[in-house]
Amino acid sequence: METNLRFSLLIALLCLIAIPSLASIPSRDSLGISPQDVSYYKAGVIKCKDGSKKFSRDQLNDEFCDCPDGTDEPGTSACPEGKFYCQNLGHAPLVIFSSRVNDGICDCCDGSDEYDGKVNCSNTCWEAGKVARDKLKKKIATYQEGVVIRNKEIEKAKLAIAKEEEELSKLKNEEISLRDLVSKLKEQKERIEKAEKEEKLKKELEEKRLKEEAEKQAAKEKESIEASLQVEPKDAKEKAPEDATEGGENGKKAEVEDEGASHDEHEILSRESSAEKFAKMTGNQNEEINSEHAEEEIDKDDSGHAEEEIDNHKSAKKPEQVSDHSSDSDAADVHSEAQQHESASTAGLSKEELGRLVASRWTGEKSAEKDENPKDESLKESADDVAEPAEEEGNYESYISDMDDDRYKYKEEESENEYNGDSDEEYADDHADTAESYKSDEEYKNDHSEEISTTGGLSWIDKIQQTVQRVFQSFNFFKTPVDLSESSRVKKEYDDLSSKLSKIQSRIHHLREKLKRDFGKDKEFYSFHDQCFENKQNKYVYKVCPFKKATQNEGHSSTQLGQWDKFEESYRVMAFSNGDRCWNGPDRSMKVRLRCGLKNELTDVDEPSRCEYVAILSTPAMCVEEKLEELKQKLVDMSSSQPASHDEL
Amino acid sequence: MSPLLSLLLIALLLTTPTSAWKKEEFRDCNQTPFCKRARTRTPHSIPSLSVSSLSLSDGAISARLIPSQPLESPSDSPPDPPRALILRLSVYTPGALRLEIDEDYSDPSAPSYRRFRVPDVLLPDIDDRHKLYLPRVSSDSPGVTSFYLPFGFEAVVHHDPFQIQVRRASNKEPVLSFNSHGLFDFEQLRTNKSDGEEWEERFRSHTDTRPRGPQSISFDVSFHGADFVYGIPEHASTSLSLRPTRGPGIDFSEPYRLFNLDVFEYLHESPFGLYGSIPFMLSHGPKSSSGFFWLNAAEMQIDVLAPGWDDPANPSSNRIDTLWMAEAGVVDAFFFVGPETKNVLGQYLSLTGTPAMPQHFAVGYHQCRWNYRDEEDVDTVDAGFDSHDIPYDVLWLDIEHTDGKRYFTWDKTLFPDPVGMQKRLAAKGRHMVTIVDPHMKRDDSYWLHKEATEKGYYVKDASGRDFDGWCWPGSSSYPDMLNPEIREWWSEKFSFENYKGSTPSLYTWNDMNEPSVFNGPEVTMPRDAVHYGDVEHRELHNAYGYYFHMASSEGLVKRGERKDRPFVLSRAFFAGTQRYGAIWTGDNSADWDHLKASVPMIITLGLTGMTFSGADVGGFFGNPEPELLVRWYQLGAFYPFFRGHAHLDTKRREPWLFGERNTALIREAVHVRYSLLPYFYTLFREASTSGLPIMRPLWLEFPQDKETFNNGEAFMVGPALLVQGVYQAGEKSVSVYLPGTESWYYLRNGAAYQGGVSHKMEVFEDSIPTFQKAGTIVPRKDRFRRSSTQMVNDPYTLVIALNSSKSAEGELYLDDGKSYEYEEGAFMHRHFIFSDNKLVSTNKGRINVGKKKFSSECLIERVILLGLSANAKKAVIEPGNVEVDIELGPLSLRAGSSPVALTIRKPNVHIADDWTIRIL
Repeated sequence: METNLRFSLLIALLCLIAIPSLASIPSRDSLGISPQDVSYYKAGVIKCKDGSKKFSRDQLNDEFCDCPDGTDEPGTSACPEGKFYCQNLGHAPLVIFSSRVNDGICDCCDGSDEYDGKVNCSNTCWEAGKVARDKLKKKIATYQEGVVIRNKEIEKAKLAIAKEEEELSKLKNEEISLRDLVSKLKEQKERIEKAEKEEKLKKELEEKRLKEEAEKQAAKEKESIEASLQVEPKDAKEKAPEDATEGGENGKKAEVEDEGASHDEHEILSRESSAEKFAKMTGNQNEEINSEHAEEEIDKDDSGHAEEEIDNHKSAKKPEQVSDHSSDSDAADVHSEAQQHESASTAGLSKEELGRLVASRWTGEKSAEKDENPKDESLKESADDVAEPAEEEGNYESYISDMDDDRYKYKEEESENEYNGDSDEEYADDHADTAESYKSDEEYKNDHSEEISTTGGLSWIDKIQQTVQRVFQSFNFFKTPVDLSESSRVKKEYDDLSSKLSKIQSRIHHLREKLKRDFGKDKEFYSFHDQCFENKQNKYVYKVCPFKKATQNEGHSSTQLGQWDKFEESYRVMAFSNGDRCWNGPDRSMKVRLRCGLKNELTDVDEPSRCEYVAILSTPAMCVEEKLEELKQKLVDMSSSQPASHDEL
Repeated sequence: MSPLLSLLLIALLLTTPTSAWKKEEFRDCNQTPFCKRARTRTPHSIPSLSVSSLSLSDGAISARLIPSQPLESPSDSPPDPPRALILRLSVYTPGALRLEIDEDYSDPSAPSYRRFRVPDVLLPDIDDRHKLYLPRVSSDSPGVTSFYLPFGFEAVVHHDPFQIQVRRASNKEPVLSFNSHGLFDFEQLRTNKSDGEEWEERFRSHTDTRPRGPQSISFDVSFHGADFVYGIPEHASTSLSLRPTRGPGIDFSEPYRLFNLDVFEYLHESPFGLYGSIPFMLSHGPKSSSGFFWLNAAEMQIDVLAPGWDDPANPSSNRIDTLWMAEAGVVDAFFFVGPETKNVLGQYLSLTGTPAMPQHFAVGYHQCRWNYRDEEDVDTVDAGFDSHDIPYDVLWLDIEHTDGKRYFTWDKTLFPDPVGMQKRLAAKGRHMVTIVDPHMKRDDSYWLHKEATEKGYYVKDASGRDFDGWCWPGSSSYPDMLNPEIREWWSEKFSFENYKGSTPSLYTWNDMNEPSVFNGPEVTMPRDAVHYGDVEHRELHNAYGYYFHMASSEGLVKRGERKDRPFVLSRAFFAGTQRYGAIWTGDNSADWDHLKASVPMIITLGLTGMTFSGADVGGFFGNPEPELLVRWYQLGAFYPFFRGHAHLDTKRREPWLFGERNTALIREAVHVRYSLLPYFYTLFREASTSGLPIMRPLWLEFPQDKETFNNGEAFMVGPALLVQGVYQAGEKSVSVYLPGTESWYYLRNGAAYQGGVSHKMEVFEDSIPTFQKAGTIVPRKDRFRRSSTQMVNDPYTLVIALNSSKSAEGELYLDDGKSYEYEEGAFMHRHFIFSDNKLVSTNKGRINVGKKKFSSECLIERVILLGLSANAKKAVIEPGNVEVDIELGPLSLRAGSSPVALTIRKPNVHIADDWTIRIL
């Protein structure tokens, strides 16, 4: 009875909408059942899909849940775990939760989910379907074009990778030869040095002897002239070995650096000078504060709600805040000295300052976010310094300059040495290779073009071997005194070659690291390696450098949102993690969702949760053929189900 | 401090993880002169008072309290000679003795200023409705006066030294006594200002000018026949009973403090005061319960004294002594005789009002975060619930939605179309709540500030200017909510015309109403600020938030033309708050200890009238690991107020962000709540009539079972369900004590467990142990919708748990869920009784209670029978003699659940009708 009523209502409803194509009115037996499942429900006794029990045809859609998985009630809301299928002729079919059936809200565009007569849902499938189809068509067009671009990129990437692999294997061979030469030269150099030393010793003895003689024969003027003639060349010779020693040390140093331990040395340097650094830091405190203020000004200018924002974030920004913080009881909890200080200092605060201070406990992170660069950063660093004063001498200075300069800027023009010297502190030891990889291939090639170029009959390494050979041959160890020009030539040759070796080694390292990277199933992300993508949002410029890092730049200050971590969700997301620390929050991180598009384009940068950023990157790399086929099929499906009465307008 | 050192300190600060509670910012008893003075007194050490001129007039007793002995050496005497105090005693039904002690203002030497009596907390008509006319007093012996109290009790006044006792009339067993230890002290108002700390007080950088000098009151109250005392929220604790704060073996403990404060990262275990205060204490022992309530809104400190506190060699047993101290006010105290806890609650609520009947939607799940940033965010979160098939009823917006923390405004960039946004939610039957705090931004372009300034509606500082404190908007002032005219004015602001961008589906959240003042002493308003009627803030502090809540709630009532029940959540509260809305336990933290403390905290609130309360699910501060979050949802589903909330700095915490498995677990937890909505709503009805809490201590249902007296880990939801929380990560099993002699049905699998013993229960990730008591019937709705709004026509499931005599009973209350028509009879109250193999549904509501009617077309689609022998196959429904099937079915319709209980399939009887289902 009840069921009959329901169906007559349904018929009435459908007549009202007057869609001739819906001639086949769903009966209770077919309500909410998808076409694939129709045969499943044909039997007289039907099994619950989870196998838990069986039910009769009478129990199908009888408003009582027999199968906990919802098998018996595809068309009603009786089973919480059930699914309802709407045909949506003219649009795409839809599967909705059973909880939506007869809940008074139209979910299916054909209105089939609301059949109890309590609401009247009009059929909007054709209109909605047209919009959806148009959208889908556009998407297909994008994919079609994108697939072509992607394939080209993949080809390019494969060639480039092959080339790099080839280069790498060649470099490895060269490295072996060169290392051999360098060690030979080193041997040679050491022998020369030894010889020189012996000679020097001999000379000193000789000198001594001569001197004694000279004293003895002081009266003899003739002899004294002879002695003075001999002193002159001795001075010149004396100088030479000193140079040689220096050169030798340099060479050793280069070797050490090549093995990737350069930081040890810096640390030692920094330890020596930490006191000096502290002096500088404290001296510069005011400067820091001023720049914070400058930032605050920027906030004001850029924000449409300047006043409130300032209100919210004022707390930690005022210059007095420096001392506020120092006396805040955060420290007091662990530090009794600080505790004493706090009461004294809050007592000294104005009412307003106290209000801001207390407010900042709840919003601390917020205010900190505004000025974490540079302030938070600087504090963090000084904290590190306090804990272990182990950073290089230039640190603080470079920090100061960073404030005016592009701190985290991808330093394209800088040579490796400059780079290390300037910004080592930004990259902890474990990121040394990241820093190195920042040098693009082109730069490397420019730097090394003459050496690497293989034009001419002989390879450069062959030439070098010849040269070295000549050097060896021409040098005569048995000749005394040592031939000065020959000795310096050996040393120069040694210096040149060891520097060349270190460059090659660094290049090898770079290539190895690069080739180890995960460029995707088809190497479609290869070209990302040396690219960065930018997006400007109000006052911030977001910069995403795949395989490297993501940053948020505001004016001259930069916050690291994360270092490259990995691809996630089968190459649909690029994850950057372990970015700069957030006050009272997690380390910053960023997830960049990839989407098919014709250009590489960064959009929709957002911070849905504190210090966790997301963005979307459109790229042809995501325009995969399978997906294109899928979309095409979807369009076919959607178009084929159009009601006869409607023609595409 | 050298710049170097300050730098070092900053560095230290920033490397230290955010630390919690700042103890030194809050006063302890020793830093609070009145508390220090009162606490150091020994019994009977102060000059005692005696009762004189006792007389009976108008059915109540009045007398004078005068010093027993003349004062000794003049050098010790205070500047003002002591005056007599006025004592009044009156009796109320259903069982309260009221004691009032105040100054004798007719004395010419009394100052013109009067002590503050807290207005508008007691129901306005208690004298008419509940006051008993005492026809006579009797005197058993000289110096002793006694008189009648209901339920077979009597009150006894000892004249010298003054003492009051409530006792059983039959056997003279004492129940409650006042001043039996001679600690009553009443610092009388003085006109001469003396030197010393008693007047001006300094705390940290703040000075309290204290122009009226010391005026504190303290006294001892003893609860006889008590094993434990409970109540006096709000304190955070994992203990349900109040732990002793003084006496043998207790070295450093502070008294329980009642002083409404905005405490940053509060500890889960501390006697220090939090956001609200209800100076109401209950005692319980195997034989009886009693209660004591002191209507006083000044700072209060309460010691629970351990046995032997007064005489370590001779500890008292079967009695709990307490010491009550307040900074100002009068004695206006109530002794509740019980004898059962349910009576004590009824007696307390007959004076302060029963809890309001909430909107039905407010019983659902609430989704909150500081902050949902903009309309798009709101839409995305809303869509997330839909796409994960998780029901929710209310989406909340915190302070950032406003235009610069100017309440009743919107940030036009982030929320350009608030009406559209609310309508989109309303189209799915969902509601929105926006925050409205009491701190008004001092900005001349802000209409509300301008109006309040012009009308002189702000609280004044000690010098008479508008008080200017610091809060979210910066410099702020606070409307003086003590003044009824200002409350009236405030309530108008909620009208649709005044609150632009509000719609009928928008409700309210009152936060920061302790009031929180960032630069004030202890993060609140200075005590010497001045309110309406020349009342000092110190005198009404604990009730400020209450008046604010009251005015906001009244605003929503007016907005809806008295046809729509208000929903206002408040953080601060006082006795009586239950009449105006819900409260939550404030800024808790995402750790297991806070999860655990939430249960005793909410039970305690329920025992003191605040039946509609909850804790932030997930914990406000910090990021809960997924397991903690899931456990919190599983527990929170049984809180009377069920809301997820999180701090601005936390990671996003919407239920679907922790992987598919956790999403499913949270969905299941929310489903449990939604399926129990009919039961919860029935319990809300019970609370609003009898005052019984929704979340109850086990001993409320099993008052004789000593095992339950201090169980703060498990609780009852209504009379039928027992819930045991899981409070540790990776917990494999928990011990659950099931009270009583009847058995309990484990709702995970329908198995019966014996009562009166502890069971070691294996713990599963999908639920926390929940049992239905044998002998009860629980109505459920097992279809899930987007929100409770769409469930209105859905059919019911009855879960019947049979006791040893194969019977059970339960009830179901329903009405339109939003209006006040239920007050005029538009409700349905069904009574279900199962016995002799038949289930009978009858009307429980009084017939013809009013002219309005309520009807429902809902059916009962399923009856689950736990504890019935498995051979029943058919049932017959009368009237109509319709036969229906009985088969084995699952307890809940979850994929993978197995058939465990006899189920009457599709009886399809109307919920509104009388019928009988007979098992064949």
